[in-house]
Amino acid sequence: MTPQSFQSRARQAWTIARIELRRAFFAKRSLWVYALALLPSLIFFGHGIEAKFQTERLARRGLTAPPLLDSVREGEALDEVKARLGEPAEERWSVRTRRVRQRRQNSGTTTHVIEPAAGARFVRLNVTRPSYSGEPVARIYEVEVYGPKGGANLALHRPATGSIPCSETEGPEKAVNGSVAGGHDDKWCAEDWPLFLQVDLGAVRPVARVVVKHASAGGEDAESDTRDFNIQVSDDGKTFTTVASSTGAGLVEERTEIREVVYFDGQRRARLLFIDGALQQRSIRRLLDLEEDRMVFAGIFQYFYLRLAIFFGCLGIFMYLFRGEMSNRTLHFWFLAPARREVLLAGKYAAGLMASAAIFAGGAVVMFAAMLWPHDPVEIEAYWNAGGLSHGLWYAAAAALGCVGYGSVFLAVGLYVRNPIIPAAVLLAWEGVNGILPHALQKMSILYYLQSLCPVPAPMDAEAPMLIQLLAAPAAPASRPGALLGLLLLTGVVLWIAALAVRRMQISYGAET
Amino acid sequence: MSEPAVVFDEVSKFYGEVLGVNRVTLTIPPGITSLVGPNGSGKTTLMNLMTGLIFPDNGRIAVRGISPRNPEALMRITGYATQYDSAPRWATGFTFITTGLRLFGYGRTEAEERAWTALERLGLTDAATRKVAAYSKGMRQRVRLAQAIAHDPDVLVLDEPLNGLDPLVRAETIDLFRAWAAEGKHVILSSHVLQEVDVISDQVVLIANGTIVAEGRIRKVRDEIDEHPSQYIVRCRDGQASGVAALLFNEPHVTEVKLHDDRAGLLVMTRDRELFARALGRIALDGHRIESVVAADENVDALYEYLIGGES
Repeated sequence: MTPQSFQSRARQAWTIARIELRRAFFAKRSLWVYALALLPSLIFFGHGIEAKFQTERLARRGLTAPPLLDSVREGEALDEVKARLGEPAEERWSVRTRRVRQRRQNSGTTTHVIEPAAGARFVRLNVTRPSYSGEPVARIYEVEVYGPKGGANLALHRPATGSIPCSETEGPEKAVNGSVAGGHDDKWCAEDWPLFLQVDLGAVRPVARVVVKHASAGGEDAESDTRDFNIQVSDDGKTFTTVASSTGAGLVEERTEIREVVYFDGQRRARLLFIDGALQQRSIRRLLDLEEDRMVFAGIFQYFYLRLAIFFGCLGIFMYLFRGEMSNRTLHFWFLAPARREVLLAGKYAAGLMASAAIFAGGAVVMFAAMLWPHDPVEIEAYWNAGGLSHGLWYAAAAALGCVGYGSVFLAVGLYVRNPIIPAAVLLAWEGVNGILPHALQKMSILYYLQSLCPVPAPMDAEAPMLIQLLAAPAAPASRPGALLGLLLLTGVVLWIAALAVRRMQISYGAET
Repeated sequence: MSEPAVVFDEVSKFYGEVLGVNRVTLTIPPGITSLVGPNGSGKTTLMNLMTGLIFPDNGRIAVRGISPRNPEALMRITGYATQYDSAPRWATGFTFITTGLRLFGYGRTEAEERAWTALERLGLTDAATRKVAAYSKGMRQRVRLAQAIAHDPDVLVLDEPLNGLDPLVRAETIDLFRAWAAEGKHVILSSHVLQEVDVISDQVVLIANGTIVAEGRIRKVRDEIDEHPSQYIVRCRDGQASGVAALLFNEPHVTEVKLHDDRAGLLVMTRDRELFARALGRIALDGHRIESVVAADENVDALYEYLIGGES
């Protein structure tokens, strides 16, 4: 019973780790971890394949000299461009047609001449198709009635009747009040069939001209103008004679030709958009842009890989190191081994760490390689010489250190809590709002330290709101050594808390005798 | 302390509201000790406490002077074959044991040798390379035993070790227990059947409802049981029960006769089983038609009922 040396304990922990590796790598309930680790690689790989395929396809139709590609200006005609640049690598065109109402000047007001002038006391407007849009609502802003000599509007302020108005403020009197400029209420509005508006001129008068002001005369949409209607007159208000009718304006087809032509200079693809033959829009982009891909990589790495993939991956691997053995009823074998509980914890943590670091640092390396491979070897070499190698290594290191930190956290959580969903949600939220926490609390999050281990800052739109900026790119320790030290310290504290729990842990498999 | 012992001192353990064991004070000397009690009485709880799988809420435990909170020292001298019928999915009989031995710091060769010896002792060499998960219940029982003894511990804790063993292996296993006990080791085993262990045990601890009911050398406990009157149920034909009852009541060794409501059955309590059997024979020869005689208390539960004074 001699007290054991540190070396023999370390050897014990290593033995435990080696036994546990199998569980850490191949636990059935954690196989989805691999999917998380490899998903970004698949995205980059897919992007590379697509770019290579496009290059191949566009180049087959012939390349355009780069200066010619840059010479295209907006407003140029399609024929000119084609004459200068030659046949495009790709051409697509479509015609968009739209049925629109034939526009005439002042279409909101219609004038109806009655020849010869008719004697009438009542003038009546029957609306048969109240709008162009199909809406069954009649809108008349004003009806004016004139005699053969013109002069005064005979209908002005005369008693008017009509179908039940849409609202109290839109009665028939509004159509004879001499105004159209009083807003949308300055009209007669009705949707109660039959739609009619009738003015009593007071006595039989000769009527030679009727002017009707529709929706657009009062500032509403022209589609709401009255489409079909007729005008009737009467001496006694009983027998009406139709004196004029209007069947509205016709509909015409408006045709727009949209043509997209693509030219390719071997690296850049120019998409030129011609509308009715004139260049409306041009965009020239590289099919593969290393600079851009690296930014995308930085974004995916920080926002998806570190924050979600490694987070949930470590949950899957570490949470069940103890919990899983409790539910399999095999934990007592470890507790019956001649080893301190702390040594068991260290061994299991080491196993989880080896597995998760191999999976996620490996995933990061594969992702980095998938991002680079489609690019021009010369460009890759230039990037390699300008620190590309160290970028790759730091990404792998950041992933591995993420496992160090998150692994310890989930190992501890698994010892204290049975169900992973709630603690995972709480932790995710904690890491998520890290950016807006006071500085002292920020130091208690894994993400805080991982931020500054990434070689390229994540892309951030400078115009994004302040809060989003803080959340997405929280403050980080200035130096890498500082971040490393901080992360390891935090991990140490979390593991110490886990050790407290594992020392107190008792076997409880449910039903016992 | 003259000899190393396993000591429980006022130990209590509660599972939430449910009592596990209550104020157990017990000193177990080396040799074979059997913990006997019905299911749920606290045998496994005592064993788990002894080996540090669970910790007491009150009291103190020392296994040969070592606290169960120190597994590093305790488990070097202790082997525990639990009743948990589980093994890691990957384990074969052989790797199951070598894996455990590697944690003792044995080299590969020594671990394999020891594993082989342990498997041999329990007759598992043929099955050594098969997955434990595919073993029969009895084989899994034996492989757990083999694992518990592989590092040659001084204190062997075995939870229901004879359960599921066929008679041949059972006899061999019992011989093993005796051999270990002769070496001055602790062999602590549990059983819910007293007859199964009383012949082999140096000491028996009877447990019910989490407390120690009786403890001591096996003969003492046996005598206590022998003085306990036996009960029989006698069933007669043709409504002759009352006649038989009258005859039986005249026998001096019969202490009580109860007539069943159906007037065909009798509950008889006797101090002497042999005399009772002879008396029944005489009554039958006299022409009373006795249909059947069943011992009412040959099950262990009845024994406990007596030992703990009517609680069950």
